[in-house]
Amino acid sequence: MQSSILVITEHWNGQVDGITYQMLAKGRQLADSLGIGLAALVLGYRLDGVIAALQEKGMDVLLVVDHAQLAQAGAEVQASVIAEAVRQMQPRLVLIGYSLVGMELAPAIAAKLGAPVMTNCVNAEIIDGAAVVTRPLFDGTLHAKIALEDKGPPLVAVQRGATPSVQLPPRTASVQPVSVDMGSIPVRSEVLEVIEEPVSDVDIAKADIIVSVGRGIGDKEKIPMIEELAQALGGLMACSRPLVDLGWLPRERQVGASGKSVSPKLYVACGISGASQHLSGMSDSRMIVAINKDPNAPIFQVAHYGVVADLFEIVPALTEEAKKAKGEVAS
Amino acid sequence: MKIVVCCKGVPGTVADVKIAPGGKAVQYQGQFLTMNECDEYALEEAIALKRAHGGEVTVLTMGSITTQDILYLALAKGADKAIRIDAQIQDSQAAGTVLAAALRKLEYDLVLTGTQSRDTLSGLAGIATAERLEMPFAFAVTQVEVDGDKTIKIRKELGGGRFADVRLPLPALLCVQTGIQPLTYVPPARMLRARQQALRSFSLSDLGLAEQQIVPQGYHFLNIFPPERTGQAQFLEGSAGEVAAALLGKIKEVL
Repeated sequence: MQSSILVITEHWNGQVDGITYQMLAKGRQLADSLGIGLAALVLGYRLDGVIAALQEKGMDVLLVVDHAQLAQAGAEVQASVIAEAVRQMQPRLVLIGYSLVGMELAPAIAAKLGAPVMTNCVNAEIIDGAAVVTRPLFDGTLHAKIALEDKGPPLVAVQRGATPSVQLPPRTASVQPVSVDMGSIPVRSEVLEVIEEPVSDVDIAKADIIVSVGRGIGDKEKIPMIEELAQALGGLMACSRPLVDLGWLPRERQVGASGKSVSPKLYVACGISGASQHLSGMSDSRMIVAINKDPNAPIFQVAHYGVVADLFEIVPALTEEAKKAKGEVAS
Repeated sequence: MKIVVCCKGVPGTVADVKIAPGGKAVQYQGQFLTMNECDEYALEEAIALKRAHGGEVTVLTMGSITTQDILYLALAKGADKAIRIDAQIQDSQAAGTVLAAALRKLEYDLVLTGTQSRDTLSGLAGIATAERLEMPFAFAVTQVEVDGDKTIKIRKELGGGRFADVRLPLPALLCVQTGIQPLTYVPPARMLRARQQALRSFSLSDLGLAEQQIVPQGYHFLNIFPPERTGQAQFLEGSAGEVAAALLGKIKEVL
């Protein structure tokens, strides 16, 4: 299928990852503005369930590479298979989700194809017939619009949550096997095991109210202040990645692309600058309150209410107000 | 084990960012560079592996003379050798070409780097380098275990609470995840001593590369701008008490 937009799908244990539906929605939008078709590529082993899940989701063609060697294949093998499918199909543009899986695949696919690649994109659009992406620079404090030249096909990796996963009008895609000579693909690394983290007692993904803390807290000893506000508001405490990296809070509390995605009624971000990997895990929250000393912090891009101030002044005051409202402190 | 760590010097603060002439890259001037934090974790992991298994750590960077500061920091943290490639490249795929050319001149069993740099946020250079050397790689690595003469076993993050254990033959390239080791503090005295050590440098011609081979291809920057505030944040001002009372009022509306 010449000249279409190709979406690389992501699935695990028979389940299609939500980011794939976001890429399909974005892919349909790009395909429509170019007047071309939308295709998707799925690879793995024993894919009947995944094909059934995908087939009605709005693409015109579903390309399938189903092979025993892909049951637990490493990233380099997957990248080689995808590159081969792209070579055969010559799409206009390839879309892949910028998940941790996509982050590993995208540079390898692009290298194998010698194609231009743009990762971490927050948008992709067609302007005057050319693909233009928007992506962050410098911790997200700046954005750049970048035009992709038609050498390629260019590979575009879009952040989770950057594009809504709208339900596309159902249509039944034609399922087409892609023939790839698996014997010609070098297998160097060996995937030994895939481990799922045990479910913990604290599930921030289910909380209605989250008070989240970032690097701005500066000192591990100050964290109880955040916990106190979370309790006063009747919610759970969460954090951004740097606090987990520092060993100050356990991973189960981490919000973001490499942690949990949350969409509570209320998200209070204290001392969180708002790196894109954090924003992609919480920007769907119904109300976002951000407290940060830096008025240019990217967290204010998604916040509904912002306070440019020292969190050590605002947080205790807010805790006190919340306690007052509950009648725990005489006003 | 011989380990090469690829570290990038990045601006400590965001200021004076411009589109470079030709419209293919971003440019910044007159700033102090710091070691890209993701790469600093890679350096700490390399030093931890050296302590456990012996060997040597070489730190490799690319940039103008100002990037020497991050090499001295690496030496102060425990790296044995430091090399600067005298080239200013922002395009990640081109960076992969140059780093691969430099690695061809070095002896190594393992190459470590971070997952992404805070300036371009691309996360491409590491795997682009591995691909050019036809070397196995892994991304978002959270644990490294030396399990044989010629192999390592690593754990990498897949997202959604999943991890994969993978065995790779050496030499291999790993993009390590932040938090793999604690970051160590370098006392000023050690930094001063490190500044006495000699640094090596490679020019592009030393690497057999010409400028025109490393020009970014296939895209151009249109413009760079502060991101739109999609949330249309309403900013609250006043004393801490006033702000807190106003915030609680807003919060009650959604709960």
